[in-house]
Amino acid sequence: MTFLDYLIIFVFLGMVFALGSWFYKWIGNPDDFMVTGRSITPFILAATLAATNINLYNFVGYAGTSYAHGIGIVWQEWTGMMSLVFSGLFVLPILRRLRVRTVPEYLEMRYSRGVRGLIGVMWVFRLGAWLGVVLYLAVKVAMNVTGSEGPLAFAGWIALFALISIIYTALGGMWAVALTNVLQFVLMLAALLVIVPVAMAKVGWTSGLLAQLSPGSMEFVVRDGPYNWLFIIAIFLLGIQWASTDQGLLQTAFSAKNIRTVNRGLILAGVIMAPIAYLTVIPGLAARILHPGLAQPDDAMGTLLASNLPPIVLGLVLCGLLSSQVSTISANLNATSTLFVNDFYRLVKREVSDKATVFVLRLMIGVSGVIMIVFAYMVPRIGTAVEAYLTVISILDMPLFVMAIFYGLLWKRANWQGAFFGYLAGAGFGIYTQLTQQVPLFGIPVGENMAFAVTAFVSASAALIVTPLVSLLTRPPDPKKITAVWAARGTTAEETDRSSTYHIVPRTGAGKASLAIWGVGLATFFVGVFMGSTGSHYASPVAITGMVIYFAGGLMRAYTE
Amino acid sequence: MFDWITWGIWAIAFFILVVFIVQPIREFRRLYREHQKDEAE
Repeated sequence: MTFLDYLIIFVFLGMVFALGSWFYKWIGNPDDFMVTGRSITPFILAATLAATNINLYNFVGYAGTSYAHGIGIVWQEWTGMMSLVFSGLFVLPILRRLRVRTVPEYLEMRYSRGVRGLIGVMWVFRLGAWLGVVLYLAVKVAMNVTGSEGPLAFAGWIALFALISIIYTALGGMWAVALTNVLQFVLMLAALLVIVPVAMAKVGWTSGLLAQLSPGSMEFVVRDGPYNWLFIIAIFLLGIQWASTDQGLLQTAFSAKNIRTVNRGLILAGVIMAPIAYLTVIPGLAARILHPGLAQPDDAMGTLLASNLPPIVLGLVLCGLLSSQVSTISANLNATSTLFVNDFYRLVKREVSDKATVFVLRLMIGVSGVIMIVFAYMVPRIGTAVEAYLTVISILDMPLFVMAIFYGLLWKRANWQGAFFGYLAGAGFGIYTQLTQQVPLFGIPVGENMAFAVTAFVSASAALIVTPLVSLLTRPPDPKKITAVWAARGTTAEETDRSSTYHIVPRTGAGKASLAIWGVGLATFFVGVFMGSTGSHYASPVAITGMVIYFAGGLMRAYTE
Repeated sequence: MFDWITWGIWAIAFFILVVFIVQPIREFRRLYREHQKDEAE
């Protein structure tokens, strides 16, 4: 790295800081801070969602995984984007109508304060730990590329990234998060547009990849291995859960101007990220040819950049990659602070002024930042525990989706007792599966590379069975709660003009046709994935065709009626 | 031989880049004007 590269990076960080801090004067009340006073427009929402979703974990992790296992990892992002479209069509419009700010707030509206508390505590811990992992990755990449070493350099980079994110998020709240995320999305996309042609030219483009990589490395849907057809189904289920319950993502969506904007923003984000996801895995495959035998596959992207990009371009590309990290940190800092104030502070102190609440929100950004730094320091000490943590997260999240979204929005008889024990049962069975590597009750071994997929199915199944059982054995829920939530399935008074009205079940012919196309795409996608279980070579083109039809149907649905 | 797959996806991503520079700027201008109006009131 040259002096100019450093200069570019510091100018970029300064720009982000200045832009974020500028929104200080736009914060008049707590809702301005937490959800931009619900003002965000579709393209800003889509770019913000994309920037929050993509970080170095994707750039470094996906490239590293494709380096080691082939292109199949791309489905993690593709199914995630399909899930965003699903959520934008069916789930988020309902939650946005309820005018909640957090998932726990919705859970009190639907179930009880106890369920709100349980999930609130889980989310604060989750987000704090996740922020630590994200910060750690940013620091590691910065140290690798700049060649800086030692605890002092580690502390210096931590301080730089953390302070910039904490200060501008504390000053500008969700406004700062949203608008800096747009800039960061543009920069990270520009970085990919530079990296991919440089890497592909060196390996002889796609034909060169196909000729030089081992057979199956470019196969999207495969029968065997850790990223096989079953992985695609499991990660799709987890994706739907993520797109329906993730606090960082939902809070951004709740900032949308109206229900139509939520719908369009989510679908747009899903559609635009699909081609971009392909561009994030390709460098890993190129690195496998250009730099074979790397001890750590996660070094693939860093090695590729350091070895193949000229000065200045390297600085610009690094700005793009670091953007992805700063945007994720700021969005999740804001989400953690909002959770604390909305789901704990406001419940304890009911009579509190707007000014005091905004002060506490800003203070909590600082506290969340400290928690993030503590976790970032713990990451190298606990080593593989980071992976274990992410596994536990996948265990805990499926039961949340089952009780909050599946039963919460579809079955009136589900009550708080069912939700509470369904969640605990799902989490318990999931942890048991991970620890014993056996399917609970049946004692069947989960098989090599299958723990992730099997755990997702087990934890979801347990919650699916226990929630209705307990609900039916206890008293029915309060009818007032059910009426409030069910009213949000139809249009509300907020949707005053036709441009902001959204019907989940379409009313017009064009709307129905677009939903039918979406359904055909989904069915085709699943046919392709199941064909993968037989080892068919047609599995990949069928699944990808299904995905493209699915996105086309979703996009048409967003702009019909 | 021309790599249609890579350059095709690259072109789509480039189009997305241009759209996501132009559209958010337009939307932000509108938000800024609304904010100025609210402040004046």
